[in-house]
Amino acid sequence: MRPSDRIFRVLSTGSAGLIMVILAGVALFLIIKAGPAIVANWSANPDLAGGTTHGYTSFWSYVGPLVWGTLFSSLIALVLGAPVAIGIALFISHYAPRRLAGVLGYLVDLLAAVPSVVFGLWGIFVIRPFIIPFQDWLNHYLGWIPLFSGQVSQTGSTMLAGGLVLAVMILPIITSISREIFLQTPKLHEEAALALGSTRWEMVKLAVFPYARSGILSATLLGLGRALGETMAIAMIISPALLFSVRILTDTGNSQTIAANAALNFPESNPLQRDALIATGLALFVISFGVNFIARWIISRTGGSRRLRKAGSR
Amino acid sequence: MKFTNAAAVSAVALASVLALAACSGDGARSSGTPNAGTSADAAADYSSLSGTITAGGSSAQANVQQAWTTAFTAQAGNVKINYDKSQGSGGGVTNWLNGSYDFAGTDAALSADQFTKAQTTCGSDGGVNIPVYLSGVSIIFKLDGVKKLNLDAKTIASIFAGTITQWNDPAITALNKGVTLPSTPISVVHRSDGSGTTNNFTTYLHQQAPAVWTWDAGTAWPNNVGSGQQGGSGVVNTVEAGNGTIGYADQSSIGDATAAAIEVGETGTFVEYSEAAATESLAQSGTIAPQGEGDLTVDIDTTKITDATAYPIPLLSYDVLCRSFKDADQGKITAAYLGFVVSKTGQEIGAKNADAAPLPHSYLAKAAETLASVK
Repeated sequence: MRPSDRIFRVLSTGSAGLIMVILAGVALFLIIKAGPAIVANWSANPDLAGGTTHGYTSFWSYVGPLVWGTLFSSLIALVLGAPVAIGIALFISHYAPRRLAGVLGYLVDLLAAVPSVVFGLWGIFVIRPFIIPFQDWLNHYLGWIPLFSGQVSQTGSTMLAGGLVLAVMILPIITSISREIFLQTPKLHEEAALALGSTRWEMVKLAVFPYARSGILSATLLGLGRALGETMAIAMIISPALLFSVRILTDTGNSQTIAANAALNFPESNPLQRDALIATGLALFVISFGVNFIARWIISRTGGSRRLRKAGSR
Repeated sequence: MKFTNAAAVSAVALASVLALAACSGDGARSSGTPNAGTSADAAADYSSLSGTITAGGSSAQANVQQAWTTAFTAQAGNVKINYDKSQGSGGGVTNWLNGSYDFAGTDAALSADQFTKAQTTCGSDGGVNIPVYLSGVSIIFKLDGVKKLNLDAKTIASIFAGTITQWNDPAITALNKGVTLPSTPISVVHRSDGSGTTNNFTTYLHQQAPAVWTWDAGTAWPNNVGSGQQGGSGVVNTVEAGNGTIGYADQSSIGDATAAAIEVGETGTFVEYSEAAATESLAQSGTIAPQGEGDLTVDIDTTKITDATAYPIPLLSYDVLCRSFKDADQGKITAAYLGFVVSKTGQEIGAKNADAAPLPHSYLAKAAETLASVK
C-alpha cells in the first residue's frame, strides 16, 4: 500500500502544481508579449498606423471600448440567460416528474457540447432574421430608452442577437450548477415549509432560495466567465464597432468585445499589432481574474452562513 | 527552367486537367493510369522533385492554392505542399520573414520596410513579390424586384460612406434609367475582420472618388457605416439574407449573389465582371514597379482603366519568396511549384477551379523569368 499511496500523492500534487505553472506561464506570456504594444508610441509608430490600430493615440484608448464591449455583452447575456437557467434548474429539481427531469437535465448538459461555431451559424441563419421584426417593434415603441435607440438594424447583426445566442451558451453551466444546489436543499426545510401551509412556490421561496443563494450567485458568475471569453459566436453574429455604446438594436453601435476583436484582426496584423491584440487579451485575463475573485469573495462570505444553517438543521 | 517553356506547358494543359479529374489529388497513383501517359513525359521535370513546401498567408488564395496544389502534386508525386490559409496575409508575411515559410501568400506586396527586412531572412539577394492570383472586387446587392444595377465610383463611395441612404436616391436612379427603384433604405455590409479585399476596395474608392471617400485605403474598414461581417462569406450571406443590402466581396466568393455593373471611369459604359475583363483591368491599370532585382511589385492605378473591356475594381494577390534559398533543394521545389502557378496551365487551372482570372501574358513571362533565377 505504501508505494502506491506515495505515487498517488505525487501524481495529484503534481497535477495541482501543474495548473499553477500553466496559469503563471499564460500570465507571463501575456505580459511579455503585451509589453511592446503597451509602451509603444501609438500616434507615431508606423506599424500601428494602419489596420485595426489606425487612429488611436495610446493602448488605453484602444482597449477601453473593448473592455466596455466585453462587459456589456456579457451583462446582456446574463440578464437574458440567468433567469431562464435558474428557472430550468428549479423545474428539474422541484417540479418535473422524475423521468422528464432526467431527460431535460441531459438535454441541457448536451447544449454545453455544441461547438460555438455552430451557435454562431445558428445565430446568423436563425436568430438574426427571427429577431428583426421584434427589434423593429422595440425600437418603434421603446426607442426613447437609450438601450433601444438609434437606427434599427436591417441585417439583425446586433448586440441583442449576439446577447441572445450568448445567453443560450451560458445556460448549461448555470443550470447544471444551480440544479445540483437546489437538489441539496435539506428535505426537512422543505417539509417544514409545506407543513406551515406553504404553496409549492412559497416553499421554494422560503426554503430553497435562501439555502441556494450563494450557489446561484457562483453559478451565475461562472456563466459570466464563459460569456466574457466567448469569441467565435460573437465574431460571427455581431457587427462590431470600437466605441462606448449601450445601443443593442443597431448595426453601428455594437461595442466590440476583446476576444472577437482579436480573432477578427489577428490574421491581417503585423507583429506589433499582434502584440497589441495580445495586450487586449491581458486585459481580458485581468477582468476574468477579477470576476472570479469577486465570486470567491461573495461565496466565502455567504457560504459561511450557509454552513452554519446547515449545521443547525441536523 | 524547362517547365516554363511554352510548348511543354501547353502540352501539359489538357493532360493535367484530365489527371486532376481522374485521380483527384492522388498524385502517386496517377502515373500508373494509362491516360496519364502524355502528362508523364511533359512533366518529367516535376516527377523527379521531392520534398515538402511549407507556406501560408492570404485566405483569398486559399481555393486557388488548393487547386494548384492538387494539379501540381498530381505530376510531382513526391512533393507535399502545405498552404495555411488561417494565417492571413499579415501572418503569412510575418512567418515568412522569420524563416518558417518557403513562400507566403499576401494581398499586398511587401512594404519597403518588409522588403528590407527580407534581406535578413534571405541573405543579400532579398525577396521578391510574384503576382499570382487575379480577381475582382464585386459589388453585390439584394433588392426585391431589381436584378440589374449600374453604379459608378462616386455613387459607390457615397453609399459606403453613408451619405446615400435610399435606393431611389437621384444619384442611383440617374445611372439606372428605365429601372424603378424602391425607397427601401440601403443597408451597407462590409468586412469586420482585417482583409485584403477591403484594402483593394478602399484603394479603388480612394483613387476614384477622393472627394467623397475621405479615408485612406487599408485592410480595416475605416468608417462606422453599415453592418460588419466576418469573412467574405459572412458579407455574402448577410447581403443575400436581407433586402436593400449592398456589400463587396472577392468575385470568387460571391456564389449566386447579384453583382452590379460598374462604370469605367466617367465613360458612361458599365462593365460586369468577367475573367477576361479582370485580366484586361490589370493590363490597363498595373505598372510593374520593382523594389529590387527581379521583384514584380505592381502599382495599380484604377484611374487608368478607360476601356470598356476592363472591369474597374481589380484584386491582385502575391506570393513572396526568397531569391536564394539557404537549402538549394528547397529553392528548387518552391520555384518549380510557383513556376507552375504562373504557367499558362497553372493560370487556366486557377480559372477553372477557383474562378481566378488569368494574369496578363506580360506578367506571366516576367514572373517565369524571376522564378527561373531563384536558387
